[in-house]
Amino acid sequence: MMAVNANSNANAKTNAGAGTDAYAIFRLENLQLYFNTRIGPVQAVDGVSFSLASGRTLALVGESGCGKSSLGRAILRLLPRNVHTYKGSIFLNGTDVMTYSNERFRRQVRWVRMALVPQAAMNALNPVVKVEDQVAEPLLVHQRVKNKAEAYSRAYEIFKVLGLPQDFLNRYAFELSGGMRQRAAIAMALVMHPELIVLDEPTSALDLLTQSNIMNVLKKVKWEFKSTFILITHDIATASELADDVAVMYAGQLVEKADARLFYDDPLHPYSRKLMASVPTLRKDKKLEFIPGQPPSLINPPKGCRFADRCELRHERCAAEPPMVTLPDGRQAKCWLVEQKAREQHA
Amino acid sequence: MKTIRSRRVRETLGRVARYTLLRGLALAVTVIIAVYLTVVIANMGGKVDDIRRGMIKESIAMMVLANEELRKMPAEERQAVLLEMEQLEVERQGLNRPFIVRSFEYLWTALTLDLGRASYISSDSGSRQVRLILLERLSPTLLLWATAQIMIFFIALFFALILSSRYGSFFDKLVIMLAPTSAAPGWFYGLFLILIFAAVLKLLPFGGLVDAPPPQGFWPYSLSVLKHLVLPVAAQFMSGLFLLIYSWRTFFLIYSSEDYVEMAKAKGLPGGLIERRYVLRPTLPYIITNFMLMLIQVWMGGIILETVFNWPGLGRLLYSAIRLSDTSVIVGSVVLYAYLLAITVFLLDIIYAIVDPRVRIGAEGGKA
Repeated sequence: MMAVNANSNANAKTNAGAGTDAYAIFRLENLQLYFNTRIGPVQAVDGVSFSLASGRTLALVGESGCGKSSLGRAILRLLPRNVHTYKGSIFLNGTDVMTYSNERFRRQVRWVRMALVPQAAMNALNPVVKVEDQVAEPLLVHQRVKNKAEAYSRAYEIFKVLGLPQDFLNRYAFELSGGMRQRAAIAMALVMHPELIVLDEPTSALDLLTQSNIMNVLKKVKWEFKSTFILITHDIATASELADDVAVMYAGQLVEKADARLFYDDPLHPYSRKLMASVPTLRKDKKLEFIPGQPPSLINPPKGCRFADRCELRHERCAAEPPMVTLPDGRQAKCWLVEQKAREQHA
Repeated sequence: MKTIRSRRVRETLGRVARYTLLRGLALAVTVIIAVYLTVVIANMGGKVDDIRRGMIKESIAMMVLANEELRKMPAEERQAVLLEMEQLEVERQGLNRPFIVRSFEYLWTALTLDLGRASYISSDSGSRQVRLILLERLSPTLLLWATAQIMIFFIALFFALILSSRYGSFFDKLVIMLAPTSAAPGWFYGLFLILIFAAVLKLLPFGGLVDAPPPQGFWPYSLSVLKHLVLPVAAQFMSGLFLLIYSWRTFFLIYSSEDYVEMAKAKGLPGGLIERRYVLRPTLPYIITNFMLMLIQVWMGGIILETVFNWPGLGRLLYSAIRLSDTSVIVGSVVLYAYLLAITVFLLDIIYAIVDPRVRIGAEGGKA
């Protein structure tokens, strides 16, 4: 199996760079996730829609509390106890898995078709179960292998690809360093070869050197397994190493989605621009900026554009909610200025 | 791979052996200190000697009253005989040597379980041997307390695990509501149970271990004991169960929000497997600790509950021994307790090392 993957390295590059018309493996439609609190429902994810082509990586960026982690959890139906609303559609290769019952979702979707690499992998591994058992566990539970020995040998294969020493499999999580644990978590996500892997801040708990190591591992995985990733991160700079598409979240909503190259050159939404202006770059000499004010409360968000209060380009139309506008080059943004630009280009 | 494993196994065994030895030594020292303190305290630091001397004098004086021959003797001669008898008795009991020396002798006899003879208390079979008295009382105590507490422990654990995955349900709320029932001790419920089931309804006996006279044959005897067990066990259930379910449920609730439990859910593992491998197994050391602590309490029984139910257990024995200042029985039961406690803790340490790799391997050892 590994041999096949190695052979397909050559065309993986062209595949990943393919245009937006590639087959959409994953599509969200109007996904909502609200939480109950004492003072009212928090609209953590409020009507998010996007699609993602096979083999591509979508970087989902935004500041803390914008709902990006909640979105990641919502995709895998990992809901806390205080769920208020959870609706919308999640299409995976054309089937809406939101219609599945919990049991069917567990049997047919979780880890079989979608896997998760969690934030802070420190605590993501069971402290009293050996790493090999945790990595091999899904294979046995979902009956992908006949026996334990086969499950372990599959785990070895993945470990080899990720550059993990084999004897680490026979260890416990507390015997591994942070970077090794994160690799083990990645191995765990890969072992079933799922169609989609959600990476929830996979590097944010690690030091800088380990971060870049893990990013290299993820790049390697992306080429070798042609994996489809959703990379949830607040670190726009690190995300650029892996991203084919970028989606920006603000206050529970998607405000922009674009091809990565176009996005990093010229973000459309005023929020994205401010966000990019706050990131230091190596080659250009620029003055770092910050965004004044605070994101709005998600308990009772403003009626119109949610960024309006902090936006320098605010005008009277911002009192109404802007639509998600698609430009001819495929970029999408939720802003009246972009809508105006689209109409001008059209005219 | 093989050699690495076997090396790791060897290292682990060595570590466990060293650890076990150290723990055993520490416990032995603890037991010795505890027993010695008990010897000193039960003898009131030597004050009990004075009491015993006084009692020797008194008993000899009584003997004189009863003895015609002695009464007829001239006063001086009689005094000399009395003094000699007193001296003899003092020497027989060893009271002529300093207490500090004897305290270490007592320590040695206690530690070797040569528990000596009771001063006042005797066993039901009429023996004054402290060892026999204690052994006679140990089994009823174990029967009553172990039955109740072990049942309560596992029932609570079972329901707690169920409730923790049904947070906020009707039964969850019911258990929270009933938890304050544990504010009252078991004997308090015992009084009511006796009133209702023994006095009014006349269904069950008031107390005791078995009917008098005891029924012949194994089955009739067991049935009679069982009948006597119902009320004291029920009393313990009423006072212990709901708070224990509540606290275990909260405990499991905390541990089922760990990241690795979330990951197990994401991996699509079935609920039962998650509960066993991701909630119970990481918390097993803590559960075992609590189980052992519960057992330690069981060894001693309970003074008031045993009194209320007239149960011939260790708790009641200790109570009467303290009241009568029967030093050897007090020391004997404390020695027994100390040994059982030390053995329990020692076993606990070994079990820890077996179930928890963090202890077995050493959290700092072998970090990559």
